[in-house]
Amino acid sequence: MAFEKQIEELEARRAKARAMGSPKRLAERKAAGILNARERVALLADDGSFRESGLLATSVQPDHKDKSPADGMVSGYARVGGRLVGVNASDFTTLGASSAMTLGKKQAKIKNDCFKNGLPLIQLMECAGGRIPDIMGAAGIGGSGERGEINRYSRIRTSPALAAVMGLTYGGGAFNCINSDFVVQRKGAVLAVSSQMVTSVALSEELDPEELGGWKHHTQTGLVDAVADTDEEAIEILKRFLSYMPDHAGQRPPLAPVPAGAEENIKNILNVVPESRAQTYDVRHAIEAIADPDSFFPLKERFAKVAVTGLARIGGEAVGIIASNPKFKGGALDADACDKITPFIVLCDSFNIPIVFLADTPGFLVGQESERKRLPGKIMNFMMALELATVPKIALILRKSFGQAYLNMGGGKSDHTATWMSGEISFMDPAVAVNIVYATREAADPERYKDLVREVAKDTTAYDLAAPYMAQEVIDPRETRQYIKDMLAVNCRNLTGGIGEHRLANWPPAF
Amino acid sequence: MATVEVKSEITGKVWKIETKPGDRLEEDDAILILESMKMEIPVCAPADCKLVEILVAEEDSVSEGQVVAIVEEE
Repeated sequence: MAFEKQIEELEARRAKARAMGSPKRLAERKAAGILNARERVALLADDGSFRESGLLATSVQPDHKDKSPADGMVSGYARVGGRLVGVNASDFTTLGASSAMTLGKKQAKIKNDCFKNGLPLIQLMECAGGRIPDIMGAAGIGGSGERGEINRYSRIRTSPALAAVMGLTYGGGAFNCINSDFVVQRKGAVLAVSSQMVTSVALSEELDPEELGGWKHHTQTGLVDAVADTDEEAIEILKRFLSYMPDHAGQRPPLAPVPAGAEENIKNILNVVPESRAQTYDVRHAIEAIADPDSFFPLKERFAKVAVTGLARIGGEAVGIIASNPKFKGGALDADACDKITPFIVLCDSFNIPIVFLADTPGFLVGQESERKRLPGKIMNFMMALELATVPKIALILRKSFGQAYLNMGGGKSDHTATWMSGEISFMDPAVAVNIVYATREAADPERYKDLVREVAKDTTAYDLAAPYMAQEVIDPRETRQYIKDMLAVNCRNLTGGIGEHRLANWPPAF
Repeated sequence: MATVEVKSEITGKVWKIETKPGDRLEEDDAILILESMKMEIPVCAPADCKLVEILVAEEDSVSEGQVVAIVEEE
C-alpha cells in the first residue's frame, strides 16, 4: 500500500492526541463519575457526526509540545438532533485546559465559524485560568490582547451561544460562559474569575471553591440559567434549550408538534388562581395550564423567584414567558427581578421569539433596600429593553397590575394588551393609595378608611381599562390559551418573515 | 446535611404557621404565611429540607431579612 508508513504515523499521532492527558487523571475523573471532554462531545453529538478541528494542534511552548494533545480543547463541528453546530469542549486533563495561544486560536476559530455562518455554538467549559508560563510577563498578558478573533469579547447575537460549566472554570473559561445566551452548571462545578488558590494568596481569603462560584452561589448571582446533577443531565439541558432556538437570528425558531390533549390543562385554570386578591399562588402552575404540555422550560429558576422567565410552546410555537409570581414577595418586582427579566427580553428579541407577559403584581418593591440595589436604574434597563424589542409582545393582566410595573409588564407597551375580568389596574394598590391620596391611616379611623379605599378603588377594573381601548380585550381565564394563539397568529410579522430588527443584539451579556 | 437559616424576604406580620419542627418540606413549600401588602405571602423552604425550628409566633412582626426558621437541607 502506498503511503503505508505515513498513514501509520498519522493514525499514531491522532490516537495519541485523542488519548488526552494523563491516564491517572482520566481514571480519577471516571471514578468520580465525571465524563472526559471526548465522552461529553460523543454524548452531545449525533452518532458519527463530529468533525474535529485542530486534533493535532499543540502548545507553542517547546516544553509543552509533547504534553498538550489538541492543546486541551476538543473543537469542531457536529450535528445535534440533525442541526449543525460548533463545539468547544475543554479537556481539563491536558494542562487544566488553561488559556494559551493555540487553545485560544482553536476556540476562536469555532466561534468565528458559528457567528459567520449562522450556526449555534456549544461550549463545554472547564478552565484552570491562564496557562503558566504562557501568560507570564508583559508579553504574556499582552499577547492575550492580540490573540484571537475580532470582537473577541463582543457578544453580537447572530446565532445562539450555549455554554456548560462542567468543572473548575476560571478566567477565560468563565468569561466564555458569561458571554453566552444560556449557561447550565453541573453541581460540583465552579464558575469564577479566579480560583481559591489566587484569592487565598492575594486577599488572604480562605474559601471553598463552592463559595466562590458553586451552583448555590450562582442561584444568588443569576449568572447561571440552569443546574444539572450530572454531566449527562447538563448535556440534555443544553439540547433542550437549543430546541427552542433558531440556528441564527435570521430564522424563526423551529416549530414543534402540538401534543395530544394540549387544550385540556387550560380548563383547570380557575382552580390555579384564587379569586381573593389577598391570596397568593404559584404562577408557574398557571403557565403550565396555558402552555403546551411539558413545554415550559424555566430559566434562572432559583434566582429572583418573584419573576418567572422561561421558554415554552403555545400551539407548537416557541414563546418567551415573563410572569410575576405572587407566591414570592406577593409578586412585588425588585431589582433582581429586573436583572432576570432584562436579559431574557434580549434573548427573545435576538432570536425572534415572541414574548408573553403575565402580570399579577402589586408593583415594584419599594424601600431602602431596593433603592440601595439601584432599582430605578434596573427598572429603566428593563423598560428600555422592552421598548426596543421588536418581537411580538402580548401582555395579559391576571389579577392586579399597579404603577410602573403595569408598564414594565408590557401593559400598553405591547402589540396587544388584554386583561382577565379579574384585572385591577391603577397607580398603586388602593389600600396603599388611600394613605397617599387622603393622608390617612387605617388605625386612625377604620370606618372612614374603608369608605376611602372603596373610593380609590373606583375605575380600576378590567372594564375601566377596556373602555378607553387601553386593553383590547377582557377575557375569561379559560380563554387565555386561545387568545394567545390568536394574537401570535396576528403578530406574524409577515413582511419580514417573522424576523425582528434585533436592536438588542449587542446588549451587554451580564448585569 | 447543612443547616440553613430561612429569612423573610419582606416585612410583615406572621398570620399563620402551617408547619412544625420535624416536618419534611419540598423546595418552595410554605413554612409560614405572612400578612404583608394586604396579601397572604408565604415564607418558603429554600430547598428540599427538614424543618428544625420556627423562630417566630403567629401575630409577631417580622422585618425583611429576619431569620424566621432553621432548616436542614437534604
